[in-house]
Parts: sequence; C-alpha cells; structure tokens
Amino acid sequence: MIMEYKMETIKTFNYDRPIIEKGYANQTLFIDISVPDISIKPVDEKMKDVFIGGKGFDLWLLWHAVKSTTKWADPDNAICISSGPMGGTPLYPGSGKSIVTTISPLTGSVIDSNVGGYFGPYLKFSGFDTLEVKGKTEKDIVILIDGIDEKVQILETSGLPDDSYDLSAILTEHFAQGKPRHISVVSTGPGAKNTRMGCLNFTWYDLKRKRARYKQAGRGGIGSVFADKRIKAIVARWDTVKVDTNNPADGNALKAVGRKHSKEIAELDPKQNEMATIGTTHLVTIMNDFDLLPTYNFQYGTHPEAVNVGQEVYRRIFDTGYDGCWMGCTVACSHGVKDFVPLTGPYKGTKVFVDGPEYETIAGCGSNLGIFDPHMIVEMNFYCDAYGLDTISVGTSIAFAMECFEMGLIDETHTRGIHLSFGNRLAALEMVHQMAEGDGFGLIVGQGVRQMKSIFAKDYKADPHIMQDIGMEAKGLEFSEYMTKESLAQQGGYGLALKGPQHDEAWLIFLDMVHNFMPTFEQKAEALHWFPMFRTWFGLCGLCKLPWNDIIPEDNKDTREPAKVMKHVEWYAEYYTAVTGKKTKPDEIIRMSEGVYNFQRIFNLKMGFGQRDHDDIPYRAMGPVKPVEYESRRDRYDKELVEKHHVDITGMDTEEKIRLLRKFREALYEELKDAVYKRRGWTANGIPTLETVRRLGIDFPDVLELLKAHGIE
Amino acid sequence: MFRVNGKQRSWYEGMTVADLLRDIGDSHHYAVVRINDKHVSMPYFEKTRIPDNSEVFLIPLIAGG
Ligand code: SF4
Repeated sequence: MIMEYKMETIKTFNYDRPIIEKGYANQTLFIDISVPDISIKPVDEKMKDVFIGGKGFDLWLLWHAVKSTTKWADPDNAICISSGPMGGTPLYPGSGKSIVTTISPLTGSVIDSNVGGYFGPYLKFSGFDTLEVKGKTEKDIVILIDGIDEKVQILETSGLPDDSYDLSAILTEHFAQGKPRHISVVSTGPGAKNTRMGCLNFTWYDLKRKRARYKQAGRGGIGSVFADKRIKAIVARWDTVKVDTNNPADGNALKAVGRKHSKEIAELDPKQNEMATIGTTHLVTIMNDFDLLPTYNFQYGTHPEAVNVGQEVYRRIFDTGYDGCWMGCTVACSHGVKDFVPLTGPYKGTKVFVDGPEYETIAGCGSNLGIFDPHMIVEMNFYCDAYGLDTISVGTSIAFAMECFEMGLIDETHTRGIHLSFGNRLAALEMVHQMAEGDGFGLIVGQGVRQMKSIFAKDYKADPHIMQDIGMEAKGLEFSEYMTKESLAQQGGYGLALKGPQHDEAWLIFLDMVHNFMPTFEQKAEALHWFPMFRTWFGLCGLCKLPWNDIIPEDNKDTREPAKVMKHVEWYAEYYTAVTGKKTKPDEIIRMSEGVYNFQRIFNLKMGFGQRDHDDIPYRAMGPVKPVEYESRRDRYDKELVEKHHVDITGMDTEEKIRLLRKFREALYEELKDAVYKRRGWTANGIPTLETVRRLGIDFPDVLELLKAHGIE
Repeated sequence: MFRVNGKQRSWYEGMTVADLLRDIGDSHHYAVVRINDKHVSMPYFEKTRIPDNSEVFLIPLIAGG
C-alpha cells in the first residue's frame, strides 16, 4: 500500500554504544516525550543482584516513575520494555523475549506482558537493558533507537496508517536501509486508542516470507497507554546477532548447554505435540476432552464442535515453514495463515497474512463465544492484531456481554440493534470493528468486564449480583481461557496472580486435575509457590516459558518431581551461569524470582491494591452459578456434596444445592489463600512480612515505609 | 506391526489405546497420546482403536499452557 506520510525529526540524541558485558548493557534509556528529553541512567550491581533484568528492571524503574496516585493516562505513567541478561542469544531456544510493564487501564496497578519478536534484544544490543518512556505528546511521534548509528531520535509524524498491520510494514521498510531484518517495530492500532484493552505488536522480520511478523504484548491494556501517549511506534535498529553479541562469560559452556536443549526439542517435538507444526492449537481438543475448554462465557468446559477449531483443522490452514519468533528457536511455534481474505472490515476482500491463532485466541474469540468456525476466528485474530486489541480481553469481554444479552440483562436498545447472542459470528466481529472505531456498543465492551458491570448496573439497571458472579474478571483483568471450576489449584493460579487472572504465572490446571500431582491442600499451596517463581524467572532473563515444560525429556517421568521438569531447570541454571558468570544452582532461580515477585506484590500495595480482598475471583471461576451449569455436571457436584461434605441431598432442588456447594467452595478458596500466603511469607492479609522483604533484599526505605503504613513493622 | 515412541510392536485387531497402555505396563499416568497426527485424550483411551501400521506417541506431560 502506498501512503503519503511525513516524518520530521524533533530530537536527536547521540551516544556511545557500550560493549555488552555478560548479558548486560549496564545502562537504561529514559525518554520523556513531553519535554522531549532523552537521557541514560546507569545500572548498578545491586540492581542486577536484586532485580536480575527483564521484568525486574522494568518494575524498579516504574516504581520510581509513578506515585501511588498515578493513573494509567497520567503523563507520569511509564511504559518500560526490557530484554534480560540471556535475551538475544540466538542459540538457546526461546531467548528473544521482551517484557513490558506499565500501570494498566484495566487494573489500575502494575501489568506485565512477555512478548516475542526482536525488539528487546535489539534494544539491549543497541546499548540499553531497559527503555522507559514517560510523558504525552500533542502530535503523533515515532521513537527510533538506532544501535548501528548510535542515536536515539524522536520524530513527529503525520499521514501514517492507524492500524498496526500496515504501519509496521511501512516503518520496517522506512528504517531498514535495505536490511529489514535489522528492524523491529513496536506499535498498536486504533482499537487501543478507543478501549482499555489495547495490545502492543512486536515485529520480527521473516526472511523467507519477506514480511514483518507479529507477536503481542497482549494483557492489561499496555497498548492503550501507548496510544494515549500518542506514540505511533518505537523502532529498534540493530545489526546481525551472533552468540558473542551478548558477550557471555563462558561462550563454550553456553554453546554446549544451548545445543543440548535445542537438539532435544528438535528430536522430541515431532514425537510430542508438534508445536513446530501446529503451535498451541493441540490444546483446544485436549482441553475440550477434559472439560476444561471455556464455552459460552465459562459456563461449560466442552462442546461437540470444538474439533472444528482444533489442531487437525489449523494444521491444514497454517502456512508451512519456519516460525520462530526469535532467531534459532527450535520450538518455532509462532504460526500464521497466508493469503487470508477477510469477509468484513477495511481489509475485506484483500489478501492478508495473519499471525496466529494460538490456543488462547481460539478459545477466547471462538469457543467461549460459542463460535466454532476456524476462519472466523482467524478473522477476529487478524483484526484484533491490526487494531491493537488483546484477543483474550476482547474474547472474555464479548462473552460476558453475550451472556448478559441472552439473560436479558441487556437488550438490543443497548447494543444498538445488534443481536449479541452466543454463536453470532458477525456480531462478534462487529464488536471488534466498533472497538476500533470507538463507536456503538463496542465502545462499551472495549472498556472491559469490570467497567461493563458497573455501566450495565448503573445505566441499564441490570442486576449487579448476577453480573458479579458471571463477569470473568479479577483485579480488573479479564480471565484467560481455562475453566477453573473444578481445579482449586488453578483458581489460586488465577486469583493469586499478581497482575490478574492470566495463566502465564501459574498454569496448574492440568497438573492438578489430570496428572493429579498435587492431591493435598498443602501440595496445591506449595505448587502455587514454586510454579510462579519458575515462570517469573523467565521474565527476568528475557526468556520464553515454553521450552521449559512444553516439550518434556523422555526420562522426566522417572524423576523425583516430574511436574518441575528439573532437567531443564538445571540447564537453565547452567545457561544463566554461562552468560552472567554468576554460579547458579536450580534453587537459586526461585530465590531470584522471589525478590521481584514480592516487590511486585508490594507495588500493588503502593497502588492501593495488593491485599487479601484483591485476590477474590468471581464465583463462576469456583463453581456453577446457574442451574444449567450445575445440571451439566450434576453427578460430580452431587457426589462432592454427599461424599466430601456429608450433605443429605435427598429432595433438595438444584438452587439449594448450588447455594450449599458455593458455601463450601468459597470457604475452601479462602483456606487456600491462607495456606499460600503463609508459604509465600505474607501476612494473613496477603502482604509480605518484614522478615520476607529483609530476606529477599528488597527492604528499601520506601518499601519499609509503605509496609509500616499498613501496620507491618 | 505398529510403532510406539519409535519402537516396533506387534499389533492385534481391535487394540485400543487403553489396551496398549495396559500391555506396556508403564506406571506413568499418560493423559494424552498421539496416533499419527491425531491427539487422543484419556477419556477416549478405552474406545479409540489403534490402526495397524500406525505411529503412536505417548505424550509424557501436558504441563505448559
Ligand atoms: S517457543 Fe514459540 S513463542 Fe517461544 S520463543 Fe520460540 S517461537 Fe517464540
């Protein structure tokens, strides 16, 4: 597409690029776009020891950027993007992630998102472990971080397209100087501007297909903050990447461990889930078979048509070829659809390339909306990306609106004539287009489930109690796409997650319900300690979580703790040692994460959350809200009442059984909170104790002051 | 004949996934297996027959999501 656009440099900052030392650039880049001002801040050893990198660095910078009163759209709110010490290693699978944090428009507190693409590594090799952007502008800007020419620029722009799809392609070409692989673009689209659930698209250049491909920092509305600041895009430019570019402490040790993990994946993935061919789509039918696939706004866990949107179908739809979102990743799970022709919207009738869909998008924009049409899901995926919208929040929000519509809590006068029932594919797509246009009922849906509950109650007089039970959000963030009703561990995995119910912190549902690795209450609480710590660590180091436990060593089942996949954890400890030169054992991984994890919990406290009540989840996440849900699993629930709780259910009607079951399950969830808080070293109100913050070295004066204000001294 | 995790095994008419797992006698709790490129989950082990000449993979764990 030929566009007339203008870009005018308004600020140039030249710098001397530092040599990367053992995975660190040892400095961060600060940009205040209001002034505009560009400067460099040093990274000291203490920052590396306590916060490691990645999300840890982001949080530390964001902590100093915002006050407890800062709101998401305030100029003080910063967007921080980091790689991590291992980020940018081409040999080790999954080593190209960027971690993004900001104050979220959905939660009002800290959100973090772990995303592929080349940006984080290019930023670091350009000389910066972290980028911190504050301020707001009146005019659209593009920020260029050019590590080759050692300059950072702010450019005022006009005439660039709004949507990420065209925008990224144009900017890649604009800055490439003939080498598009040297460019990674971070951008969003019009949906981000008009909703609270905007995502960021991070590109990587696909040499074979000759196009910019995308991965999304999806959760929590980071894209909406980006759009509100009027940043059109941030572009990183860097040269060829080799293992030595990251200057590891011991290159030979790094190569040895990297080759082991790469080779194992290349050998085992074809024998296991074939992620290099089908991505994460295998999870659709597996979740469906185990009654865990959300359908109809998390009412049910299975549907006979789920097979239509599973791996057998997407295997045929995906374009074949290498799909690693980072160089040399042998998992290579980031698939896409070539020559897709949308039926609606601005790209109607034209051929586009769609990155995705992954499991979450299929479940969120498909099964949970009662949609089992694989091409419609691809279209939803395409427009969400192009418009800069998070497919998970979009899916879960539309699902809530659809259920409210079907229950008569809202009607066509509110939806402006749209029959928003489950399975209405065009209505779902129309919601997405309206979110991008900032018009119609889509504008309301785009505010997210929490805001919808309040608008429906206040303006449409809908019953707030039932909406509280069926509105699938916690902490203000929409649930990602797993059915937790029968897994107490996953209820905790969602409810006790720091940023809100996103599975990247603790995905225990299968380990709990199917593999039965944590039958006791104590084991669930223990898992809710160690699993998030492992997952946190990937975000500190610039790594992808998938190579840890999505491809499993053949002898794993004979190990003492198969759920932890310790062989890989040992390799990760070797990898960390080889890059940073700091000798590390597997248990130290947990210790590193604990510091940052507890700091993030305290950050929530600073922002007015981070206490026990903040960890509540809607009842639908715990059990059946409506009689139809109870009846769909009546045997299970009856059995639980009789055998576990010794209730005589003879003659009892369904409503009464629901009420009783709810009492037991809610009490159990509270008990789980107690057990997990204790295991994590927190008070009964869910706040880290003084002993915990001292042990972890995060007893900074302002942390102690904050704790004191909450009675902890 | 058919293959399980790359190793040849003799096949018999009517053999189900559940039969195979019993015959193998592996105490590990398999939740999912793959027959050629089709995933089969535990609730369907009893009724899913393994075709002759197929390639079966026992998936060790579904741990990542
Ligand atoms: S495993 Fe998939 S998501 Fe992770 S780095 Fe590799 S290609 Fe990207």
